[in-house]
Parts: sequence; structure tokens; C-alpha cells
Amino acid sequence: MANTAATAPAASGPTPVPGRATKARTTSRRGETLAALPWLAPTLLLIAGVVIYPTILMFWTAFRKYNSYGIESGPAGLGNFIGPAGAFTFPTVPWAAIWTNTVVWVVVVVILTLVTSLGLAQFLNREFRGRKLLRMIIILPWASSVVMTTTVFNYGLQRDVGLFNRMLVDTGILQTARGFTKDPTSAFWVAVFVAIYVSIPFTTYTILAGLQGVPRDILEAAHMDGASAGQRYWQIVFPLLRPAIAAAALINIINVFNSLPILKILDETPGFNTGHTTTTLIFAYKAVLGPGVASALSIVNFAFCLVVIAAYLAIVKPANEVQ
Amino acid sequence: MAKFSTIIAAVAVGSTVALSACSSAGTTPSTSAAGAGGVLPATTIKILAPSYADSSQADWQKIITEFKKTQPNVKVELQIAAWDNFTDTVKARIQAKDYPDILNDNAFISEATAGLLYPITDVMSDTTLKAIEPALMKNGVGTDGKQWAAPDIASARMLAYNTDLFAKAGITAAPKTWADVEADAAKLAAQGVAGYGLPLGTEEAQVESSLWLWGAGGDWPVSGKLVANQPTAVKAFAEMKKLIDAKATQPDPGATNRQAVADLFNNGKLGMYVTHSGLMGVTRTKFPNIKFDLAPIPSQDGTPVAFGVTDFILAFNNNDANRKAATKQFLDLMYSDAQYEGWYKGTGLLPVTTSQIAKAKASDTNNAKFYEVLSYVKFNPVSNPQWDALKNALQGTAGTIAKDTPENVLAKIQAQVDAQS
Repeated sequence: MANTAATAPAASGPTPVPGRATKARTTSRRGETLAALPWLAPTLLLIAGVVIYPTILMFWTAFRKYNSYGIESGPAGLGNFIGPAGAFTFPTVPWAAIWTNTVVWVVVVVILTLVTSLGLAQFLNREFRGRKLLRMIIILPWASSVVMTTTVFNYGLQRDVGLFNRMLVDTGILQTARGFTKDPTSAFWVAVFVAIYVSIPFTTYTILAGLQGVPRDILEAAHMDGASAGQRYWQIVFPLLRPAIAAAALINIINVFNSLPILKILDETPGFNTGHTTTTLIFAYKAVLGPGVASALSIVNFAFCLVVIAAYLAIVKPANEVQ
Repeated sequence: MAKFSTIIAAVAVGSTVALSACSSAGTTPSTSAAGAGGVLPATTIKILAPSYADSSQADWQKIITEFKKTQPNVKVELQIAAWDNFTDTVKARIQAKDYPDILNDNAFISEATAGLLYPITDVMSDTTLKAIEPALMKNGVGTDGKQWAAPDIASARMLAYNTDLFAKAGITAAPKTWADVEADAAKLAAQGVAGYGLPLGTEEAQVESSLWLWGAGGDWPVSGKLVANQPTAVKAFAEMKKLIDAKATQPDPGATNRQAVADLFNNGKLGMYVTHSGLMGVTRTKFPNIKFDLAPIPSQDGTPVAFGVTDFILAFNNNDANRKAATKQFLDLMYSDAQYEGWYKGTGLLPVTTSQIAKAKASDTNNAKFYEVLSYVKFNPVSNPQWDALKNALQGTAGTIAKDTPENVLAKIQAQVDAQS
């Protein structure tokens, strides 16, 4: 965060020339920065308070020894990472399943969300009766809290009292009611579905905004020149949507990777089961092994997140497109 | 915008609280506590307690109101939290170094080992200490021999069985041995209901595992250490697996908590399960159509088993003589017959003071059977520092018995315990 803020103005400005002129410019720029400070201060304070301080605390906690009650007892070295009860060495944690889940979780949710949203946005961009109403309905999952939405799914999928279960049995899709949330694998896939469901509104609206920016006259010209509907979409609309898709994808990757509530509510199996992602594992560790081990794992999660963003920025270069 | 103003408001409120906390700490008179009988100087004591029933808040408030009559200068802050995540609430307070002066919880050894507590003998008068049943009092002694906690409520677990369902399945008596349980559960399952309720989810796996282990004639401590992968435990887990494999339990035992099993029982969909007096009180008043009886918990050879639990009062050391003195007076008042009777009845569980136990035995016919088994209840090893690790391992892993062998499951549990010691 701090890095981009510091480098952005330098990159956009002209290349500095060594000599007196530079010095004068530097001082005047410093004056400008000082003048801007009162307006930037609230944001900077907020970033310091909710981003930088917790990050420092996370690193500090990861190298201290805690019991499961969070009572500290001195330095831990690398014990929280690779000690007998370390984040990566604690026995009985099904790591293969957890890494696979984490990758599947991010890739499947983000890709299916984007594909569904592309279609949905295209549809909502057409003129038809009741379009406004439909747009409002699609925004609903976004307007309600994720915990609430997920809890509704959880209740609906209960074996004895769940309405979804009852519907599946009554329509003959299932022979008998199934405890979807009681088994790690089925709970994981239900969670994937819910994650897509709650991610669609934001993504659809981002792409819809992009679609509004596609000039009509170009499309009409292409039509006149005999371009088919497919050609018009893939060669004109889709390239113009790239910045919108890029922004939606990046935000979704981070959101989905860090998502805790959906899996935590839907996977009712206790302990280190095969339905965890690294994010939910952090919280399982926090309850059993305390904040030290949980922080050790969150550092790795944090790093993984940074790598994903860096790779994404390098490959897609969304910043250039957005400008 | 709305969000930002909320943050500002939150920060403002937060800092006000912090400031007032500082000032109150700063102005605390340095003169130490007044004599035991006198009026104490202005101070605040904090209580953190779980919600046993809807009335819990009011039950504590009654004692607080009475306390304020003699100690008008002492402010009492009460926080009641739900049982589901109570441990998390306690952990959050400890990590924020906001120690309650009085904590009502079901464990004490982690706090005691970390040196955060007063020995409970420091904050209770001799009269109060003597009023508590010695057999229950023993449960609050740490491995160092000090009395770190005092029980405030007891409960016993017994087998509840639906007499209508038993009659329909042609079963005439409550099961006594494991063989009886298998046969009866199979007969019940043939009637289309679940036979035996087996809650191996996070909430109760440690209770259910202990019951089957005791039923096999074993116990967790083996020469002072807690051992999971012992032959008797293998026998116990094999028996649970037998019931699951025979489809004689409710579905998904590994993801079921006690309340879900109780719900099945209350709706006539379950033949028998291990229960306590509080849950049966609910069945009696809210589900009058369910006819049930209570029996000791079956074991392998038929020796009756019963599970005992005591919850505790812990007193945190806040390094403040006035708070300590106020805590002591509060606890003495709480355990007095006049206050304690109403308070314990509100929980729906059993009392711990000798006078109240005697009184309840004579009058409380609904819970008569629970009082009978109190003489032979066994307790989980809550005073052993390893118990926290074993409990967590059981809660997270015991449920995997449905899909794994007893040897494997117990080896995993042992590995988790070993990694933490």
C-alpha cells in the first residue's frame, strides 16, 4: 500500500535531471506534500491502524510462545512454524487436502463467478421490461450479510428441518435427505456454490459498468460490415471489457482467498478435517494451539496473497489498462 | 461515509472508555481495604458468567442487588455470555488483559498454571469453604495441591430413554450392558427411529468418549499422565464404532452436538441418550408428550457408570486489595443459603453446598435419580494440565471413528496431545 503511494507520483512525473533545478523542485514538492498532509492524515491514520499495526502484531505474535488461552510465555523462535506443535508440523493435519482445497476454492469460485457474471451482465445490458427490478434483485445477495446468507443455506440444508433437503427429496432428485454440511467434502462444495452466489452481484455490476462504456456506433459499424454476433463480442466487446474484468478478478481473488465465514459456517465437522482451506485452518489453530501458531500460518497466507497479487499485476498489467 | 463516521464514533467511544478506565485506576485510594465487616471504598468488580438458562442474568442480578445494599460504593459489572463460545469469550478477555474478578467456567487449570488466579481460599471465608461438599470441592484442586477453584454447580449425566418407543420396540427394561445397548438400539432402529444418540461433535466428544472409556473399565490418567492410545480406550472406541456401523445411532455422529441429539429425543425420533437434569427439565415442561425415564449409563460388564461435572468459580488476581476484598465479600454472600438457593435453581442443575444438597434430596423429586448417582459419579481429569490438549484432541478427532479404525483415531489423538506437552 505504502509502496504504491510513494512510487506513483515519481513514475508519472518527468525524469529528474541532476542539478539545481531538481533541488528546487524537490523542495516545492515537499511543500506540496506538507500542505496535503492534513487531508491525507485521516486515511494515513486509518491505514496505520488497520493495516500496518495488525501486520506488525502478526509478525510479533508468530514468534512468541502462547498457550491455547492466549497467555504468553516468552519467545518461541521458529517453534510456532516447525516445532512439535507448529503450524506446519502439528500431527494429523491433512495438508494435501488443505492445499488442494485452497487452490480449488480460489480458482473455481473466481472463474465460475466471472463466467456467470459475464453472461448475466450481457443480459442485464439489454433493454427489456422489468430490467430495473431484475437488477435490484440480483444485487440482493450483496446487500445482505455473508454470515446471514450462509446461515440460511446451512439451515436449509439440515437433514431433518432443512427446506432445501425437503425440496430435493420431494422432487425426487434425492432418495433420502442428506446431511450436506456434516461431511467435509460435500460441505466444501456447498461452500463453493455459496461463495459464487455472494460474489456474483459485485462482479456483474463491475462488468455491467464496463459494458456501458462500449460505444454503440462501433458495434453498429461492425454489424454493417457483416461481423457475426460472436465476432462482435470476442473482437470488440470483450477486449474493451478487459479493465473491468481485471479489476473484478483481482478483487475476487483476494476476497475469496481470505473468506472465512462461508466455510466456517457450512463445514460442521470438527477438528482438522479435509474441508479446510488455509484460511479456516488459521482459526482452527487459534482455538486449539493459540494465537502464536495461528499467526505463523497467517504470515504464510499473507505472503501467498502478496505473491498472487504480484503475479497478477505482472501478467495482466491492469494498472495500465485502467488508466 | 456512514461507515467512516461509525469508525470515528467507535474510536471516540473507545478512547473515552480507555480514559475513564485510566482515571478510575488513577484515583483508586491507596488506602487498602477496609475491615471485613466495614463499608468498602469505591471500586469495581467484574463478573463473567455463562448463560445456563434465560434467567441467568436476573439470577446474578439478584445477588448483586443484595450485595449493593451492604456495599453501596462497589460497582459490579456483569457480563453473561452464551455457552457455545464461552471459552472464546474467556480467552478474549484474558488476551485483552481485562481479567474478570469472578469467572464462572468449567475449567481452571490453564489460568492457574499461568499464575493469573488467587487461590480460591484467599477470597472465601472459612465458613463458605466448609459449606461446600468436600467430594465436589476436591475437583478444584490443582496438581500442585492448591485449591484454585471452588465448584458452584454440579451436574450428573445419566441415560434417558423414551418409554413409549421402548414399549413399541418390545424392550422391557433399560439397558445395563453394552450388549443390551446394541440389541435395544437395533430394535429401536427397526422401528424407524435412531436407537442411541451419540454426539461426537465439538461440544461433547470429550464427555461421550470418557463415558465409554469408563464403561470399559479404564480411565485417562495412567500413572499421572493422560493416555489416549490405551487398550481400554480402543475397546471403548470399537464399541462406539459398532453402534455407528450398525446404523443404530443418529446420522453423522461426528458432526452432532448434544443439543441436536436432545432435539431428536424431544421430537420422539430417538430412543435413548446421555443427558443431564437441565435438558430433562426442558423436555418435562416443553415436550410433555415425551414419556421418559432415567437409568445409570450402561457399561461393558453392567457396572453402572455416571458422569459428573462441576463448574467453577475462579478469582483473577488484579493486584488490587480493594477489588480482592469486594470479591471475597461477594463470594461469601453468593454461597450463603439465602442467595445460593435461588441462584442454583435458576441453572436447572444440582447444588454444591451440603445444606442445599440435603434440602434438594428431600424435596426435588424430578431430579431424585440424579442425586442418587452423585455418590458414584466420575469426573474428567480437569485439574491435569494435559487435559486441555486431550479435550481439544478428542473434540476434533473422536468423531472420525465413523470412517476410521479405533487404533488410528486414538493414535491421532495421542499424537496431538504429545505434540503439545
